[in-house]
Amino acid sequence: MKLLLFLCPLLLAVASVSSRAADATAKFRATLVEAILSEDVDKQVELVNQLVDAEDELIARGLTAWRASELYVHSPASGAKAPFLLDVQPGVVGDSKGIRLFDGTPVLDPTGKPLTFNASSLTPVDNSSKLRKAIKTALDLFAIGNRDPHLRRDAVTKLGQARIAEYVPFFERRMKIETDKEVIRSLGEAVALTRATDADPKVRLGAISQLGELRSINSIDFLRELDTECKLNPAKYGEDTGRLVHSVVLQLENYIRWGTLVGTAFRGVSLSAVLLVAALGLAITFGLMGVINMAHGEVMAVGAYTAYAVQCLFGNGLLFSIFGYQVSLKGAGFSGGFFDVYFLVALVASFVTAALVGLGLERGIIRFLYKRPLESLLATWGVSLVLQQLFRHTFGAANVQVDAPGFLQGSLVVSDIAFAYNRIFIIGFAVFIVFGAWLLLTKTSLGLQIRAVMQNRAMASCLGVRTDRVNMMTFALGSGLAGVAGACMSQIANVGPSLGQSYIVDCFMIVVLGGVGNLVGTVSASAGVGVTNQVLEPWLGAVLGKITVLVAIILFLQWRPSGLFVTRSRSLDG
Amino acid sequence: MKLNLKSLFTGIAATAIVWSASAAETVKVGVLHSLSGTMAISETSLKDVLLFTFDEINKSGGVMGKMIEPVVVDPASNWPLFAEKAEELLVKDKVSVVFGCWTSVSRKSVLPKFEQHNGLLFYPVQYEGEELSKNIFYTAEAVNQQAIPAVAYMLAEGKKKFYLVGSDYVYPRTTNKILKKYLQMKGIPESDIIEIYTPFGHTDYQTIVAQIKKFAGGGNACVISTLNGDTNVPFFKEFANAGLTSENCPVVSFSISEDEFRGLPAKQLAGHLGCWTYFMSVKTPENDKFVGDFMSWIKDPKVTGTSYKVSGVDPKGRVTCSPMNLSRMGVHLWKQAVEKAGSFDVDKVRVALIGQKFKGPVAEVTMQENHHLINNVFIGETLPTGQFKVIKTFKDVAAEPFSDMFLK
Amino acid sequence: MAGKFSQRELLIVGLLAFIGLVLLPCLNAFVPAGNPLHVSTFALSVYGKYLTYAVLALGVNLLWGYTGILSLGQCLFFSLGGYALGMYLMLQIGKLGQYQKEIPDFMVFLEYEAKYPATGGLPAHWIPFRNFGFAALMMIVVPAVVAYGFGFLAFRSRIKGVYFSILSQALTYAASLMFFRNDFTFGGNNGLTDFKFILGHDINSPVTKRTLYICSGLLLLGVYVFCRWITSTRFGMIQRAIRDSENRVLFSGYATANFKLFVFVAAAIIAGLGGALFVPQVGIINPSEMSPEKSLEAIVWVAVGGRGNLLGPIIGAIGINSLKSYATHAFAEQWPYVLGLLFIFVTLFMPKGVVGLPAQFREIWRRFKNRNQTADLPKAVIAPTAEAEKPLQPTGKE
Repeated sequence: MKLLLFLCPLLLAVASVSSRAADATAKFRATLVEAILSEDVDKQVELVNQLVDAEDELIARGLTAWRASELYVHSPASGAKAPFLLDVQPGVVGDSKGIRLFDGTPVLDPTGKPLTFNASSLTPVDNSSKLRKAIKTALDLFAIGNRDPHLRRDAVTKLGQARIAEYVPFFERRMKIETDKEVIRSLGEAVALTRATDADPKVRLGAISQLGELRSINSIDFLRELDTECKLNPAKYGEDTGRLVHSVVLQLENYIRWGTLVGTAFRGVSLSAVLLVAALGLAITFGLMGVINMAHGEVMAVGAYTAYAVQCLFGNGLLFSIFGYQVSLKGAGFSGGFFDVYFLVALVASFVTAALVGLGLERGIIRFLYKRPLESLLATWGVSLVLQQLFRHTFGAANVQVDAPGFLQGSLVVSDIAFAYNRIFIIGFAVFIVFGAWLLLTKTSLGLQIRAVMQNRAMASCLGVRTDRVNMMTFALGSGLAGVAGACMSQIANVGPSLGQSYIVDCFMIVVLGGVGNLVGTVSASAGVGVTNQVLEPWLGAVLGKITVLVAIILFLQWRPSGLFVTRSRSLDG
Repeated sequence: MKLNLKSLFTGIAATAIVWSASAAETVKVGVLHSLSGTMAISETSLKDVLLFTFDEINKSGGVMGKMIEPVVVDPASNWPLFAEKAEELLVKDKVSVVFGCWTSVSRKSVLPKFEQHNGLLFYPVQYEGEELSKNIFYTAEAVNQQAIPAVAYMLAEGKKKFYLVGSDYVYPRTTNKILKKYLQMKGIPESDIIEIYTPFGHTDYQTIVAQIKKFAGGGNACVISTLNGDTNVPFFKEFANAGLTSENCPVVSFSISEDEFRGLPAKQLAGHLGCWTYFMSVKTPENDKFVGDFMSWIKDPKVTGTSYKVSGVDPKGRVTCSPMNLSRMGVHLWKQAVEKAGSFDVDKVRVALIGQKFKGPVAEVTMQENHHLINNVFIGETLPTGQFKVIKTFKDVAAEPFSDMFLK
Repeated sequence: MAGKFSQRELLIVGLLAFIGLVLLPCLNAFVPAGNPLHVSTFALSVYGKYLTYAVLALGVNLLWGYTGILSLGQCLFFSLGGYALGMYLMLQIGKLGQYQKEIPDFMVFLEYEAKYPATGGLPAHWIPFRNFGFAALMMIVVPAVVAYGFGFLAFRSRIKGVYFSILSQALTYAASLMFFRNDFTFGGNNGLTDFKFILGHDINSPVTKRTLYICSGLLLLGVYVFCRWITSTRFGMIQRAIRDSENRVLFSGYATANFKLFVFVAAAIIAGLGGALFVPQVGIINPSEMSPEKSLEAIVWVAVGGRGNLLGPIIGAIGINSLKSYATHAFAEQWPYVLGLLFIFVTLFMPKGVVGLPAQFREIWRRFKNRNQTADLPKAVIAPTAEAEKPLQPTGKE
């Protein structure tokens, strides 16, 4: 009941807003009709200029039709004249219905039946070049009134680039009523950009320095042109302008350089985090235990598919088939914030499922192979073949879609540098799991046992450590981490049967580069590879960049044949 | 005793007749699509639609009274295996026709086998052209049926800067090369065209998206994407998160159809463009029937009139798309040609195929002398539902495989 | 193991060689089609492909089974050999391509004529490949040089075990990315295809195919004899010693790096020759043949057949590929399960591969008999026999 009481005013408010909007639309339509029926060109232009703020598709269509001479007037024997346009359906030849601009209803004959017209037998409403220009301005400026502030900003930026003096009054008018900060900035930028070549030196200098103050990256191309023009022809705008333009260009270039630097650094760190998250599980199963787990990628895919399943269970339900039998599970039907929680649940669930899969793998296959580590490569390769086909037959051969929860969509923009939320999340998450793994390995008794068993299995066994159980737990832990990585990857990459294949080579490379059996090494190696890759990519392109990184890894290992951090041991062949 | 023996003989004779009759009533047809490996993601749907079409034809009486018996093999996204399987279908199974291949390299690997054994292959996926074999019929979109109309549309929309991004293999490189020439012909300066490639299975598009953002800053820019299926997901996720939208920088993708959309964040992609000769959303009675029939078929997949057991059909969230439609139309065109020729003989069917018309779901297509189709081309805008809304139609575009013919 | 061919081995190899090199081609050439004994040209060319895979497997075995070096880059050398012959074959097409020009189609389309006008559109490094002799030389020299360069660096810095595996994987991965690029002048992803002639003969004619098959068989036999010879010399002993304990060999005064380098180069040449015969028989070479998975596949053949033994890899390569050929047709949807489970089974229950089976059965039978006779014997008596086999198994990390 309380809720209802709370909702009531809200609903009323919404209703009143929409009715106010309807009133406004009717008013704008009436203005348009008045303009069309008016005989005076100046009055027409003035009226059309008033239409700029109309958020109405019909008015846009009417203006477009008017400009293209496709607007007509219906003059019934009785009643007012009604301007209309033809509702031409694509592909339909012959007569079409007329739509009245006043309210969007069809033109009717006296008996109430819709009339049909043929364009060739009608006379369009007059227009003139002055009017056409006004209409174009109005149509262009329509977008400034868009409800979505992002679209509004984009529209203003686009119009500002055109640098048309006629737009300036409209920009200024909009600036007075605009509430969104971003849009206000864009409006200021558009005005300054348009005025940068103003005849009045004062206005000109003001505008140019304003562009510098606004750090307007969008105007850099224009300012560069202006700079060269000033150098070629110093007399045109005067020396003051030339000097100012040059300093603003330098200022902006500097700003952009810093932005690129910070952007590259962020991209490097974020790629490093992705590699780290993907490789951490392998650093445990392969690095610590020495199991060459070729199915590591598929365990990641298990995690990603778990995220998909959890998402479906939170949403509209899950449909999959097991060995040809279709299973359909009903979803909870959540939406909005409740639905977004799915991702947190999915992270936990993917750890658990992947750990269970790892447990099964260890008990069923890998525990028989501890004495022949290279052969674990073959068996797990078989596992990876089987799992891939199993994914195909369970969830379909096509990729599945894992939605980004609301809080991971979009990006944080600071000084024109975009930091995508999902990337920030992955960086944070990487720090979190590395810290977690470190805690587990160094501060718990399980960690102590794990390290003991990995360093000397026989000795640990003699001291009463249940090596068999520790192996099992360690492998499950590594697999669980791979699963979480898969769930994480669902936010930036595709979820499909071959998900694992795209990471496996990189993962092994990272672990080996860092030094087998060393978590610090894995962290440093992923940081090194990630940052190097992002630094090289803008210069060399993605393909050559990747090749260069691979060659660099080969050469690096010449220098340090056991990776970045060597685990020292007394054993000769260690 | 005598009587018994006689009845035994008649029995044997009758069985023999029945057996030979039933053997004569089927015609073997090869399906050569990868069901495992990297390409399974796209090709499995084509196998499904082919089996559906066989069922559809068999239900209405088969081809010249014979039931189509599918021979499905899995070339496993492995090109030498493609060649081996193609030859096996032609030599061992003696199929009358093969429907298959997705990537150009798979088609290139089987082409010599089809020419050597005089087989017949129908190829249904948009490709770069520059090839014409007498043994292959390309129901696929050629570059002038997809890339050129799409770019012409972007030019008409007032786009002045083009960012061409693609996976690093032959189709994107070739398409972009043709597009670059075309754009330069239309007066776009070289400095406003950027061409970028990424390796196969690339997962990190941060740098490229940052570049696009910079490039699109001045407005009037668009992206022409020839990224292949799998890498679109990381690309578009990055694209959307960087705050780029279809309003400030639309992306035209040539490799994303409704089927690929199933694995993409459709909501973030709304408003971007696709260009194909078929969209599931086109409203015609024929299309409604095709979509409806296919949707009911996947619930209970079978091929009527044969003992073939259909398996591995994914029932969830299925759609139809251009390669699927082109696959199906290929089967129908072949059927009509066989009936016109009155024979399954490849040489006769090949002749009969030229000029063959088929009223498809969205257009009547004609097989031209150059083994490519005359087809309608649609430009569609993506909707949050993963469907396309048609915004422009080019009627009866004749496919031309060789780019020097249309770049004049 | 030292010494000459044993009587039994001679008999088995001779018999297999007779069947493979004489009987099958004769059944193909002289028995008319339709006869149940006829071997079709298609079948022969598929067998020919298996034989080249077997050659590759022997190379892997020489490296892994006998020297303990697990290279995940063998398919790079296989492909390099393939590309060398492929380039020759491309230039033999002549004017029969799509554009009816002297240079390969992809060069016409990529406008090489404008890029390399002096040579009519052919990049300089392609020109000598018009000559078969040069191409034949290159399919040995290129893999050898690449292997020497890479091996020299790697063995000099004493990179071993899994580090070497991952490094070789990085090498082949980088190479495949390089070859995927159109600009690299090797046809990009579409690779080299649509060959027409080899040494003036139609490449698709039954006679050529038979000849290619026999060549592959002879190559396999040759490589077999080479491996047999080298593993039975003192060199082979050192090889196995390196496998079992490299440091002891090193401390005994042997320059192990040189031995390893020699084996690595030899294996690369073997792979290159295999690749060169592979290409004309399948009709295509493209960069995905270099991808790390392919090398892994070759290792799986060796493991399944049985490594450290010369027949094992051959059985593995031919057996698994025949199974794959059969299964992708017979169970198009389910074959990865069959193959995957087979690998798991072999690793778990047949540690010495198919060739180790008889010994395994003998062992089981012996135990079974022992158990029946002396059921109360302590287990320790039996255990060491199982343990005794351990040193034979190469391990990357001990």
